[in-house]
Amino acid sequence: MQGKCGLFFTSYKGEAQIFQSGFQKIMIVLLIMALCVAPFALNSYLVSVMNQIFIAVIAAVSLNLLTGMCGQISLGHGAFLGVGAYAAGQCTLHGVPFPLAILAGGLVTAMVGMVFGIPSLRLKGIYLAIATLAAQLVLEYFFLHGGALTGGSNGLLLESPQIFGFTFDTEGRMYFLLFFCAAMALLMVSNIMRSKHGRAFISIRDFYLSAEIVGVNLFWYKLIAFGVSSFLAGVAGGLWGHYTGYISAEQFNIGLSISYLAMVVIGGLGSVIGSVFGAIFITLLPEVLNGVANGLGAFFPDVTQYIVALREGVFGLVLILFLIYEPEGLAHRWKLIKAYWKLYPFAH
Amino acid sequence: MRVGKIITAACIMLLAGLMLFGCGGEEQKPAETKTDSHSEAKDASPILVGGLVDMSGPTSSVGVPYAAGLKAGVKYVNDNGGIDGRPIEFDLQDTAYNVQTGLSLYKKMVNEKVVCIQGYGSAVTEALTRSLAKDKIPDLSASYSAHLTDPAKAPYNFFIAADYSTQARAAIKYFRDTWTETRAPKIAFIYPDHPYGLAPIKGAKAYAEELGFELVGDANVSLKAIDATTELLPLKDAAPDFCWIGGTTPSTSVILKSAKNIGMDTVFFTNIWGSDENLYKLAGDDANGAYSNQAAAVYGDDVPGMKAIMEITNNEPQMTHFTRGFVSILVMAEGLKRAGANGPITGEAVKTALETLRDFDPMGLAPLISYFPDDHRPNMAVFLYTIKDGKLTFVKEQILERRADWLGH
Repeated sequence: MQGKCGLFFTSYKGEAQIFQSGFQKIMIVLLIMALCVAPFALNSYLVSVMNQIFIAVIAAVSLNLLTGMCGQISLGHGAFLGVGAYAAGQCTLHGVPFPLAILAGGLVTAMVGMVFGIPSLRLKGIYLAIATLAAQLVLEYFFLHGGALTGGSNGLLLESPQIFGFTFDTEGRMYFLLFFCAAMALLMVSNIMRSKHGRAFISIRDFYLSAEIVGVNLFWYKLIAFGVSSFLAGVAGGLWGHYTGYISAEQFNIGLSISYLAMVVIGGLGSVIGSVFGAIFITLLPEVLNGVANGLGAFFPDVTQYIVALREGVFGLVLILFLIYEPEGLAHRWKLIKAYWKLYPFAH
Repeated sequence: MRVGKIITAACIMLLAGLMLFGCGGEEQKPAETKTDSHSEAKDASPILVGGLVDMSGPTSSVGVPYAAGLKAGVKYVNDNGGIDGRPIEFDLQDTAYNVQTGLSLYKKMVNEKVVCIQGYGSAVTEALTRSLAKDKIPDLSASYSAHLTDPAKAPYNFFIAADYSTQARAAIKYFRDTWTETRAPKIAFIYPDHPYGLAPIKGAKAYAEELGFELVGDANVSLKAIDATTELLPLKDAAPDFCWIGGTTPSTSVILKSAKNIGMDTVFFTNIWGSDENLYKLAGDDANGAYSNQAAAVYGDDVPGMKAIMEITNNEPQMTHFTRGFVSILVMAEGLKRAGANGPITGEAVKTALETLRDFDPMGLAPLISYFPDDHRPNMAVFLYTIKDGKLTFVKEQILERRADWLGH
């Protein structure tokens, strides 16, 4: 069991804790406190960016569970978010309370995800990627032609979330709801990773044949991975739909799937904290590039339009640089930073 | 070890602190200075207006000229005294056809206290519908979907062109009126399987049937198509007299070229984004004879506003999308002026002011514009152009009645 130097466990319970040292616990409490105070200190724009990050965290961690931990690549994750958004949206439109609607959205998406996960028994790698891409296209078609179920090309207008009569109709209020959901999603995936199922996922990812030899039921566990991952994607989709108040087929396109994949790769495959870093990085990147473009625009009035055109190129460049110089993602860099301070002042 | 832990703790605290305050960056601009009109001296503070246009991404080819039109419009208004002496400060940002980008840029603008948004694409405009209503900020966009004209569903959305369905209906009416044969005219619809492509189809088909057209088929041609022969062959057999094309200029050119290749003899007419000055460059002579719906004058047309545009652009020809951007600013400026005359300029005041517009003439650059509190259709008119010798040539301004059952459809 990995533990800090000088950290001894006297019980199994102690060893199984998520946060093993007192220091970690204090830090996490401080972080949670800081995040709870944040919406009061930040302006509404920054709170809205944080809200987008929370939703991206849920989606990224769900894709990381499937792709990073179980090795099942998915190019249809954006569409799974869409399924959750429409399902949860239909539920709230029909009077189902918001928390139940979100859960229902997650469950519907889990079922859809499991159906599209069936080919995963036979397909691996690039073949599975194409199969999930097909899921993306089929679902996009359904969003556009789903009639009253999806609102067709008009999409669906949704009301702000309401729990026990309390309406989450401001950025600040949504912040706490999304923060709670993101924290729950992270906790859920962290716990799955510590369980028998998580270890089975990792064994499948590392080498499916060995996993099968040691008794892991490949089909069953792959389906569970698709189910759980899609459930969380559905929850993220439901939250996104109710956050923006409007869902249409155009929002859940292949570009969204790719951006979640980019979050997972940049954050670190197979790492929960990596998903968080990836979500923060990819959500903030356009904001930062925008800021740079506007900042430069103040000095060189005509430079903005060139930077605007360059922006997508910069996005691609950042991805490539990451793959070359930090292939294990930001989570790996985080580990190195931690190790550095742990070993300080000795380098080794 | 202890030192390391302390430093790590300090780092994390710093990180947490940064999340709290560091990112805070800019101070909120005081709204009062922007909207205050009670001061004794004449208020000359700028009026903040946000611009959310796709200047990169899939629709940038038309987004860029549209944005240029918006900028020219702002310059024109400011050069001519602004809004009762107050200049418009236009914060134009690129949404890159990305909903998340659009959403966060919008939030930033709301934070900076813009009183109005000049929007553009469907994806972002529609995703903002609820937020606009919540924040009470009107959005004049270039997404002309009919459902945005119903104030019950989209109270703060406006646009300056007839919606896609109305445009299609107007063209259909024109063709019915000019039809001389005794048999029923046959019509077919070609459009991409895309929210924008699908938006007017239902309404257009219903009206065509109402007018006695015979619907003979549909074809889906993607916006990214490089050939449409396969899709058009079944339509050729159905021999439609008229074919609606709901796409963009590149997809229209592909359709026109493929139709010519297979010898299809029909009158094509296109949606507003399906024809512009580039169509002839892309499709060559195959584009001649095609009709298009336009909501604004073409560069060089003999209307009063064109003189202003030609002056501002130093006689450098601009696309029709440019003119529409220009008109959108003129309409907004009128709303701002009326709102300013009634009190402080706020988003809500601008919305209320826009709803008082009755037959507002944007210097002849577009059909007359009216908005009502319960009906945000700017007009029921469309300019019909045909391509003659490679040039967009004005045919007629087709006006329909403002039927209540068409609102939002």
